[in-house]
Amino acid sequence: MKVKLKNVFVIYFLVSVIGLMYALLQLGQPCDCSQHLRSASDLMHGKDKKISQLLSEVKRLQARGKDSELEGQALPVIYAITPTYARLVQKAELVRISQTFLHVKNFHWIVVEDSPVKTQLVSELLAQSGLRFTHLHTETPKEHKLKESDPNWLKPRGVEQRNLALQWLRENRELSEEGVVYFADDDNTYSLRLFDEIRSTKRVSVWPVGLVGGLRFERPLVEKGRVVGFYTAWKPNRPFPMDMAGFAIALQLLLANREAQFDMLAERGYLESSLLQSLVSIEELEPRADNCTKVLVWHTRSEKPKMKQEELLQKQGLGSDPSIEV
Amino acid sequence: MRSAPEKNPRGTSPRRARGAKSGIRWSQNWSTVRHSADSDSGRCLGVGSFCSMLRKRNLLTTLLIVLPWALLLTVWHQYPATRYLILLRKETEANATAKARFNGTSPLREEGLPSCSWQQASGVSPKVIQNYVYSRPPPWSDTLPTIFVITPTYTRPVQKAELTRLANTFLHVQNLHWVVVEDSPRRTNLVSNLLEKAGLIFTHLNVESPQSLKMNGSRIPSHKPRGTLQRNLGLHWLRDSFNNTQPPEGVVYFADDDNTYSLELFEEMRYTRRVSVWPVAFAGGLRYESPIVSPAGKVVGWKVVFDPNRPFAIDMAGFAVSIRLILERPQATFKLEGIKGGYQESSLLKDLVTMDGLEPKAANCTKVLVWHTRTERPMLGNEGKHGFSDLRMEV
Repeated sequence: MKVKLKNVFVIYFLVSVIGLMYALLQLGQPCDCSQHLRSASDLMHGKDKKISQLLSEVKRLQARGKDSELEGQALPVIYAITPTYARLVQKAELVRISQTFLHVKNFHWIVVEDSPVKTQLVSELLAQSGLRFTHLHTETPKEHKLKESDPNWLKPRGVEQRNLALQWLRENRELSEEGVVYFADDDNTYSLRLFDEIRSTKRVSVWPVGLVGGLRFERPLVEKGRVVGFYTAWKPNRPFPMDMAGFAIALQLLLANREAQFDMLAERGYLESSLLQSLVSIEELEPRADNCTKVLVWHTRSEKPKMKQEELLQKQGLGSDPSIEV
Repeated sequence: MRSAPEKNPRGTSPRRARGAKSGIRWSQNWSTVRHSADSDSGRCLGVGSFCSMLRKRNLLTTLLIVLPWALLLTVWHQYPATRYLILLRKETEANATAKARFNGTSPLREEGLPSCSWQQASGVSPKVIQNYVYSRPPPWSDTLPTIFVITPTYTRPVQKAELTRLANTFLHVQNLHWVVVEDSPRRTNLVSNLLEKAGLIFTHLNVESPQSLKMNGSRIPSHKPRGTLQRNLGLHWLRDSFNNTQPPEGVVYFADDDNTYSLELFEEMRYTRRVSVWPVAFAGGLRYESPIVSPAGKVVGWKVVFDPNRPFAIDMAGFAVSIRLILERPQATFKLEGIKGGYQESSLLKDLVTMDGLEPKAANCTKVLVWHTRTERPMLGNEGKHGFSDLRMEV
């Protein structure tokens, strides 16, 4: 067949028409646009979230840059020592306080488990928390351990664990480093202002604690900026009638007095005094929280959850899946 | 489509020579064109005829050449969605989950600061690891759905502590609007000051429960519904606020002030379309209560022991409802009369959704992200009958 121009044009038109028909058929197909558009909008949401988080990150870095220019030195580090032990509400308590601690600058969380090994629950929780942390563990010897039926005040709790944390600090920190040590139990409630008050500690600072000692609050009595006594109803004759959550110690003081630690055999309520006696006298205490007139920490305790149905099920061998961590 | 009928006379006539008038005319034109082209230029036959064609049949031929392409282009131009959809189909198959999440990691080093390495999570179990965010709360985003958290509260010694730690938790969640409803005749100073200082976006409401429903200090009747009026007021406020305006995208969650919430929970509930559900720890006398999810991803039952015949055997902290659904069904509220213990949630949900409309979250209801903790009543024995501590100090 000769390559005539008209043949070329014929072929050209055929091709064009076929192409056009194909395109129109494509359009005629029903398309489930909604799902694509929704997933597209979800993607957009995700990207948006990423952008806003990156922006806040940028702001933070800018702020940090400015801060380090303005302040000559970094803020003193707050070391919070938290003894913990395995029970049903352990994960919930640790999650809750880690959410509070995430707001505190220059914070170092020292978690000491009452256990022979580091448990997976606590290890994973700490890794995911986003905090700077140290994970320690030591088991309380049997004779000092509380039994299930004992009331919680029968034996002092967390002594070995806190002492281990103090030892760790002495081995891993120098006198030149500025820091403050605070004993933060895992079931208390801390307001964010408390940490600002803690940070300025020079030796030992004190403040009121809410819902403790059978009272709405316990607090040190302050006159002319000095502590002169304590406002408490339970065993007021103790050298330091305070709760563990009511004071903080400067790191340098602890490093300078390497033997100061909690006494396992102390009488009920004398645990805090057993440590503070060797460190400071009442006159040297620094009052905080507006001359000890504001409550910034509460000695809350969580109820033991009722496991009646769970126990019944477990007797029948139908207990809940233990692989799901609670 | 004019090219098709045009095709026939040109395509068939030169070969078959049917003698159709138009066909002859065309072929004659072709031959005349070719002759004139030869006389004009000594070039290749095809090019010459082409040039002369342009001169001769200028309008018609250019039209016929350009027409199909013009039509094609206009069609594609009008429906850019087609092009976009084809591209998108490829993209969405790659990202299986529609939600892009953040996955920040901090190394397990005990000493060092957390490093900032951001990776985008892929699919199955997105982890939300927070790196320290100094700005609290996170800046409001206009595209992220809002989480409205309704918290009923009442005055008791641990109230300030509970609200403080709840605020500390909420300060990490973006686009959260806290609706606090007090069980009291007036808004108390304690709660007002706390909310103002917290830095959250909040709404402060109050409604007093009648004596018969009130929580007494001495007895704790666990079977009586508590916080019902307050939650209903929260829902009422929501419906009032978004009556005429365009409602924002978002979700409503009933958060009691003594529970414990992980930050991951809020991201799970944020994109709820109707009602989403997940397991709750320490509810119903079990380690955890949870919905039973079929392999197809639908809720088919309830893994509970306490009255499994409830229409929705779930705790208040175990579900969230999208705002759109709340506004669509203005009659859906928590019922007060004749509600047995454990049926409060069902009294609301039955007006909103059926079992197959539920969306299971938390990795198909296999992870526990909320704990039904309860705080002990503090022993205040040393206060005595007349009070010992200074009442001016707020606790």
